[in-house]
Amino acid sequence: MNAPEGKTIKAPYTRNIGGVNILFNGEGFFINPSQWTDDVFEVLAHEAGVAEISDEQRMAVHFIRKFYDEQGKAPLNHHLKVGTNMSIAQLEVLFPGGIKYGLRRLGGLPDPKGCRKAVGWNVKRD
Amino acid sequence: MERQERLIYLDNAATVFPKPARVLNKMMETYQSFGVSPGRGGYDLAVEASDLVMDVREHLCGFFGSDDSERVIFAANASDALNLIIQGMIEPGCHVVSSQLEHNSVLRQLHHFQKAGIISYDLVGFDGQGCINPDDIARTIKPTTKMVIINHASNVIGTIQDAQSIGNVCREYGVPLILDVAQSAGLVPIDMHQWGVSALAFTGHKSLLGPHGIGGAVIAKDIDIRITRFGGTGVDSESLEHTPTYPHRLETGTLNFLGVVGLGEGLACVEEAGIDAVRNKEVALAQRLEKGLSEIPAVQIHGPSTWKNRLAILMISIPNMVPEDVGAILDGDYGIAVRTGLHCAPLAHEGLKTFPRGGVRFSIGPSNTSEDIDAAVSAMNEIGRNK
Repeated sequence: MNAPEGKTIKAPYTRNIGGVNILFNGEGFFINPSQWTDDVFEVLAHEAGVAEISDEQRMAVHFIRKFYDEQGKAPLNHHLKVGTNMSIAQLEVLFPGGIKYGLRRLGGLPDPKGCRKAVGWNVKRD
Repeated sequence: MERQERLIYLDNAATVFPKPARVLNKMMETYQSFGVSPGRGGYDLAVEASDLVMDVREHLCGFFGSDDSERVIFAANASDALNLIIQGMIEPGCHVVSSQLEHNSVLRQLHHFQKAGIISYDLVGFDGQGCINPDDIARTIKPTTKMVIINHASNVIGTIQDAQSIGNVCREYGVPLILDVAQSAGLVPIDMHQWGVSALAFTGHKSLLGPHGIGGAVIAKDIDIRITRFGGTGVDSESLEHTPTYPHRLETGTLNFLGVVGLGEGLACVEEAGIDAVRNKEVALAQRLEKGLSEIPAVQIHGPSTWKNRLAILMISIPNMVPEDVGAILDGDYGIAVRTGLHCAPLAHEGLKTFPRGGVRFSIGPSNTSEDIDAAVSAMNEIGRNK
């Protein structure tokens, strides 16, 4: 295998939703969480395959939003459980895409930083 | 808010937790008694601190099968030591051979210096068992190859490379072998002299049972590492030239004395427990985990099919679940800590076909029990049931 030539960063992009230009990162997470609104949530949820937002979905999203607004950070797993009165497994099936790409992304929280894909290696092959 | 009453910690490849109480106690006692600046003052306490640091250097030198304790260099961790080694060895126009299994501590440096037009490099792949073929290394070495850098044991799948055979190839071609032993140190007996290893990089906080923030490099006498950092060393203070002799050549500023003390005590714990005994126990638990997980239809196991020459690391995925979500459920609903994602080794995941999402890594440590493993299997069974 030859050496990788470099990394290709998935570029952030801007979308106009409801007349507002919203900046997303390459994976569709809000770069500026303050741009999130219930109306934007409706649009993104429908695009993700949610035909009609349920009370539980709305409650979970409002919990993480409130937590983020008050604490300046995303809730930990134990906060999520207590705050929503649901298990993490129940939250995982609540949205298409699970917790990270469903609840968290549609709830407008920033992309969680961890040892996972943020950028892709552009690998040159033999 | 209430947390789970009991944490089942299965992220020991990231750092072993908890550390032995005697390591923490020794650190506290020593630091309270003579936590002064080692290698600087001439008063008794400073000399005692210096002696203790030298004792740990000697201990590490013997532990890794090297022959000059002054060439045991303390650094912050293995990544820091690899920066010292690689940047102290590369020259404009040189070539480096490494592998697809490397951690970003190596890959990002090579990528950076290639992009800057300073070096070129090639990576050898690995087979279905996670093994690097030494012949591939031989085929990849060029006349301009300055070093071969190999990850001794993978932090993603646990495979232990045949360092002896790779060392033989490097000897034959006259190319220094640099070994990253961040995962293997404390779990695999390492013999630099016999294997023909010119330098290794280790970290203290994994299976050497020390604290975070201490690690280092061991340099054999057949190579020299260029000075790339400059500063106070406590000797030759009249000169504006950085001290050229080891270990000061590669150490600047006041040492992490507390870390050195903890590392020394951790090393003593490792030797008392016995390297082979610890690894055998951990691997037996990993086999138990693999057996349990293999009976869950939704779980896909990645990596080698054998536990020969392997650390107790198991990487899995559930194809239609995001690895981070599996980790969140394990943590939030079952109190089980694992590591998800790419494990800072993106090309290893490419080779395993788990890129870009990565996987869920279970890594067993000295404190784990069969009850921990059974709880993990039970949790995964419930998570995978409806997938």
